[in-house]
Amino acid sequence: MAQEAVISTFPNPFPRPKSDTGIWSWITTVDHKRIGTMYGISAFMFFLVGGTEALIMRLQLARADSDLVSPEVYNQLFTMHGTTMIFLVVMPLSAAFFNWLVPLMIGARDVAFPRLNAFSYWTFLAGGLLINLSFAFNSAPNAGWFGYANLTEGAYALGNNTTFWVIGLQVLGIASLAAAFNFLVTIINLRAPGMSFMKMPVFIWMALIVQILLVLAFPVITVALIELQFDRLYLTNFFNPDAGGEPVYWQHMFWLFGHPEVYILILPAMGIVSEVLPVFSRKPLFGYPFVVFAGAAIAFMGFFVWSHHMFTTGLGPAATSAFALSTMAIAVPTGIKIFNWIGTIWGGQIKLNSAMLFSIGFVALFIVGGLSGVSHASPPTDAQQQDTYYIVAHFHYVLFGGSLFGLFSGVYYWWPKFTGKFLSEKLGKIHFWLMFVGMNLTFFPMHWLGLDGMPRRIFTYGGDSGWERTNEWITVGAFIIALSILVFMINYVKTWRAGTVAGADPWDARTLEWSIPSPVPVYNFVKIPQVDALDDWWVKKYPETVLHQESHDTDSGQLAPAGAEDVLPMQARVSPEELLGEDHGIHLPDKSYYPLIAALGLAFFGGSLMSAWWLTLIAGLIMLYGVMGWIFEPVNDPEDHH
Amino acid sequence: MLRPGLLQKALTAPAVAEAATKCDPQAISGVALGRRSRTSPTMRLSRSSLLRLRPALILAILAPALFTACVVDGNQSPFNAAGPVAEDQKNIFIFIFVIAVVVFVLVESALLYSIVRFRQKGTAAKLPNQTHGNTRLEIGWTLAPVLILAAIAIPTISLIFDQDKGPVRGQVPDNPLAIDAIGHQWWFEFTYPGEDVVTANELHIPVDRAVEVNLISDDVIHSFWVPQLAGKVDMIPGRANRLFIQADEAGTFLGQCAEFCGEAHANMRFRVIAESADDYQAWLDGMRRPPASPEPGSPAAAGQTVFAQNCSTCHTANSYRPEVARAERDAQLGRQSAFKLDPENSRIISAPNLTNLALRSHFAAGIIELNEANLRKWINDPNDIKQGNRMSKQAAIYNDPASALSSEEVDQLVAYLMMLTPVAADAVPEAMEETGGEVSSENGEQLFLNTGCSGCHSTGTNTIVGPGLGGLSDRAGSTVESLSAEDYVAQSIVSPSAYIVGGAPVSAMPGTFGAQLSAGEIDDLVAYLLSLE
Repeated sequence: MAQEAVISTFPNPFPRPKSDTGIWSWITTVDHKRIGTMYGISAFMFFLVGGTEALIMRLQLARADSDLVSPEVYNQLFTMHGTTMIFLVVMPLSAAFFNWLVPLMIGARDVAFPRLNAFSYWTFLAGGLLINLSFAFNSAPNAGWFGYANLTEGAYALGNNTTFWVIGLQVLGIASLAAAFNFLVTIINLRAPGMSFMKMPVFIWMALIVQILLVLAFPVITVALIELQFDRLYLTNFFNPDAGGEPVYWQHMFWLFGHPEVYILILPAMGIVSEVLPVFSRKPLFGYPFVVFAGAAIAFMGFFVWSHHMFTTGLGPAATSAFALSTMAIAVPTGIKIFNWIGTIWGGQIKLNSAMLFSIGFVALFIVGGLSGVSHASPPTDAQQQDTYYIVAHFHYVLFGGSLFGLFSGVYYWWPKFTGKFLSEKLGKIHFWLMFVGMNLTFFPMHWLGLDGMPRRIFTYGGDSGWERTNEWITVGAFIIALSILVFMINYVKTWRAGTVAGADPWDARTLEWSIPSPVPVYNFVKIPQVDALDDWWVKKYPETVLHQESHDTDSGQLAPAGAEDVLPMQARVSPEELLGEDHGIHLPDKSYYPLIAALGLAFFGGSLMSAWWLTLIAGLIMLYGVMGWIFEPVNDPEDHH
Repeated sequence: MLRPGLLQKALTAPAVAEAATKCDPQAISGVALGRRSRTSPTMRLSRSSLLRLRPALILAILAPALFTACVVDGNQSPFNAAGPVAEDQKNIFIFIFVIAVVVFVLVESALLYSIVRFRQKGTAAKLPNQTHGNTRLEIGWTLAPVLILAAIAIPTISLIFDQDKGPVRGQVPDNPLAIDAIGHQWWFEFTYPGEDVVTANELHIPVDRAVEVNLISDDVIHSFWVPQLAGKVDMIPGRANRLFIQADEAGTFLGQCAEFCGEAHANMRFRVIAESADDYQAWLDGMRRPPASPEPGSPAAAGQTVFAQNCSTCHTANSYRPEVARAERDAQLGRQSAFKLDPENSRIISAPNLTNLALRSHFAAGIIELNEANLRKWINDPNDIKQGNRMSKQAAIYNDPASALSSEEVDQLVAYLMMLTPVAADAVPEAMEETGGEVSSENGEQLFLNTGCSGCHSTGTNTIVGPGLGGLSDRAGSTVESLSAEDYVAQSIVSPSAYIVGGAPVSAMPGTFGAQLSAGEIDDLVAYLLSLE
């Protein structure tokens, strides 16, 4: 009763949103699927922005001594391209998949904290818009996505360019941390009965590892950004060499975050590939525990390799050797993953559809990125490669050929589950081949440009350098990639209305999300499933494979023979009456305005630090109102209870 | 049957890569097709058609590398190594590259093979064998990479420690030439400690001698990179980094800043000119001789005045005088501090030393050839040549309409700068002779402009780094009791911190001028200073 009294005293001018359709139902949603969709759409929009930035850079570099853009604009373009693709594209695209799939694959009805989930999304969107708003003020960040001090300080970074970057990243960091805690709690606590850790799909494992990385790595960059901003605003001396500060300290902090960040970007894609390859080979993942532990090992070792980004800073031979060794060591678990993926398709019945092509493309391209990575794990060769196009080639093979191919594989694979319809296979394959050819034409020649001595982050190069012809081809490749994205968008538009309807389990897949209808009902599972095995859905469909497996394999004894009752698909166990019945006993959290208000208040608060103090005060009050309203608002409207 | 083939592959691949780096198509195809080893027993053993195809296969695999090597024009490619440091770095790269190519071929083949072999045709009646894993395989493909990486790690670490000692592997150089390289936004300064030589953007070194480059930065982080001589090492403010280089042959090697350092980063380049010990010594000697004085009344003479009035605050052009060369470091730091105090409005910033400028082949941080036309273009609109340069942002002539140069003045300035080349060795004593006897405020003016005073002091009342000296006579006489104006100013030049007045901080002025100037010169300078209105 006391709680009800508090609720009624908190001023809430808005009636609680009720409708399930219309724009406000999306804005106030706390449903993980809708939030996942919004993450996906927003990230794709930012992908178009970041891609456009890349195309302008490629047009500039297609000619030697070109003056299409000024060096200042070019510096803004490469800074924002990197920042956008990392923080506003690959991370939120992964978040889109986490949102959609974590509850579905572990047999839950939503994430642990649905309103926090909405807050994460709105904070991400507001942070992304804030950092891009800098273009409107002609103050886009221009010191690189790595923002090396002391170029970002004092006399060398006048104006608000770097401030936009610092504050934008802080806001985005809050979004990532909130989401990370949410998914951690969800995966640990909301797994369906029987789903022990070693029965979790690999994608969920990789999601769990990524959340741990986020929770451990983001505080480091948060602290570093605060120190940088204090240096800029209050003349503290963390990184200012004139007052005894240490610019290299920024690099340590940045890469202590930045290297785990690389695995934050790639592990979700590795999880997707580990789901797609078995389904379209009609075989279980080869060496499941090895793939899982290799992922964990990569994440753990990822915290001990940061200084390989700093081999040229003069760390001294001992430290340089130590980081060379740890960097080489991380190639071992990465190799284990690749071998197990090949082991998975070996002996299978491979179906080369769009999803599978993108996954195989991932493996093929990631090998290239991994091998070039080994070459600059050796500091003497890295001394010639660091800050050249060789490095640009390397990490685009890992992050474009890797992360993005994996994410597109996930898009084609789970699209029927998300929307109930297939994307066109024909257009999907055109998309894949254009992107595969374009990607290689763009990034492979960059290897030899770098080996030939072309530095990165230069807006121009001389006509006598011998680099022009290669750059020309690279630009052609970049436009082929752009064309492939256009094909994907046509595919989306075409199939939105006219796509073939997919059933609940169109791929004859293995994991729990395929046991429920497509598109997924708002409550996900009518009845929370009982999980008995890894790939539980597959085992229930093909109980004979368990017996078969037991006689052939002695490695993993986790599969138990299924009882006849459990083999029935989940939906078949529930009568339609039960499904449609008025009171099926499923309570989902109600929609809420407060996460949105708190998130917008937060981003406004950050942005206002560059303007007048009273705007900051107003923004702070908005944020406080959002948080307080959220605290006092019950998960479900008390007037609406059964 | 397989072993000899594998052996041959292992032998051939590095040879191809080696040939490729020499950019010699004949050698490449010759090596790759096994011509060189035609009579070798390994070739006679490999009879099967598959093995005969192998060299062609290797050629196909290495095609990108061949292309790489052959598109280079040579002067900025690490593969055209011109010294032991770059050579060792190139060799370890080729070693890793060959291993990587072999791994690439094996793993991608396994991937492709399994896709082709196990692609489903039609609808399968029954499920494939549901293998879940194989522990022995897992151990195998964990150990194999460990062994390969160990093979890479051992030479890597040995090379890291070796290259820390000196340029030639395993040798500590007994008499390395020490050079300070200082990074500035956006140009390179080079000083030769002990030689009293300062220059910018063109580093002269003798061949076959270890050079220890001390890497310094006065502003942000830069990176010193001459691909043909050595991999890069960063120049970090507040840190003392070091890099060994050594050139095996005479030549000009391009360098470029490799760490993003702001707006004009792309145009921060330089050259290393390696020359014989004699040529190097001749260059050093030349840098210590003054240029010929321009004919009185000539455009160049007028240009000298233009330079003194508009450029000499930031650009030193007389460090052929050893005392000026020694004071240049302090002068640059003073200019940099002045800039940092008010970056938006400062009319002063550290700038390239222009002593004997006409000896250089290029200017504007090594991006454009030095000739009259280019120099005129540069002075008229520096942004047309190097966007983002500091000169156009800070210098009064570009920011204060009253200070802008007329086109005649620009021509005079160009004429003067193009004359900055040392006089013949036997002409020096005359040029350095003192006026003697009478006190000359005209000579004082020359000293003011050429000794480094004008770097920090204006002749008006505005503060550059040090106070403006206009109207000095009005205040000098009464500053310190019992000292005449002449004695007070003379004392302040010889011992700047002797009389600190008016709550001024400890003087930042170097105490080196007393040693640089003779008593007569000090008298001349004092007379000039006291004549300032």
